[in-house]
Amino acid sequence: MKSNMIKIMVSLAAVLFCFGCSAKKQMYYWGNYSDSLYHAKKNPGVESLAKHKEALENIVEESKNRNLRTPPGVCAELGYLYAANNNTKKAIELFQMEKQTYPESTILMERLIMQTEKRASDDDPSKNTSVGKSIEQEKSIGGSTNE
Amino acid sequence: MSKSKKRMPVLGIFLAVAVIVAGCAPKATTKGVEFPLMYEETPLTILILPPMNESTAAEAKQYYATTVQEVLSYWGYYVFPYEITSDILKMEGIYDAELIRSVPLAKFREYFGADAVLYTTIKKWDLQYMVLASNLTVSIDEELKSTKTDRTLWTYNGTVVVDLSGGNTGGGLAGLIVKAVITAANSAMADYVPYARQANRRALSSFPFGKYHSDFKKDQSMQFIDQTPEKEKNK
Repeated sequence: MKSNMIKIMVSLAAVLFCFGCSAKKQMYYWGNYSDSLYHAKKNPGVESLAKHKEALENIVEESKNRNLRTPPGVCAELGYLYAANNNTKKAIELFQMEKQTYPESTILMERLIMQTEKRASDDDPSKNTSVGKSIEQEKSIGGSTNE
Repeated sequence: MSKSKKRMPVLGIFLAVAVIVAGCAPKATTKGVEFPLMYEETPLTILILPPMNESTAAEAKQYYATTVQEVLSYWGYYVFPYEITSDILKMEGIYDAELIRSVPLAKFREYFGADAVLYTTIKKWDLQYMVLASNLTVSIDEELKSTKTDRTLWTYNGTVVVDLSGGNTGGGLAGLIVKAVITAANSAMADYVPYARQANRRALSSFPFGKYHSDFKKDQSMQFIDQTPEKEKNK
């Protein structure tokens, strides 16, 4: 019984200790990512998507300012939005950045770069279904689409 | 003799208290004991698959999906951008959670470079509004599977109860009134992103750390406590 008590005390102490640590050492800066993404999903539209893009830009910038590794997936997601807006150069730059920060993302990033390049070289936009259209589809998941 | 007799009630009380405390406290176990395969395979990249929503709350899937990537990243893994990967899966015609289950795991490795995939089923997503306390009760089943060996590396089946009443505002009647006002305001806001994040975080408390965490491969002996309340377990 006594050892149980001690175990409980130790684990409680461990939990408190962990909270103490996490407050001191920051691992990532995620800004208001979840909020802006949630709102972009819930109220799909140009405005909410622009806000989310702004949130992503802010994460990339703040991470740099604070000398932190950009959180996994953020550069890629921002690149994906640029690709949807036909900004191929910026999109590929961001996919490369993700690959550099996280070499384990190479397979997916190469795939995205390939898709984006293919799309850019394709003059007929109606032929292409990959990146841009997907963003359009994404907007309608929530059910109620305003547009 | 008389001395030990005297000590008996004290010892008795101590034992009774210890039994009560031990009985109430959820049992603690360690990550290394429960999930040895996580340390054997040490996956680096995790693909979060769209959750299956069995709860009555239609918005549960979105709350879960928009918070899980951020939360999981703090465990030190490369987490694939969910917005992109779920999009790709949808374009491949496998957005449906039932269909996803039928995809061979090696495919996720081949296509995305994922070492492991995370399956989630949301069983319950309940909001309870009360005057002095509001709760969000989330029951989820999660399973992390290796794309190399098809083995289950980690599981979580449990319930997390998040208190929505805005934290501790101090005692006394004034404190209670303030708390009631905060509860009402919180419920009216209907913005549960932070709570969804908290539920996710708590469900992951037994998840071993990955490469980018300072405790990578060092947390085998770390204890965790089952978050499921007793009354939920007995259901």
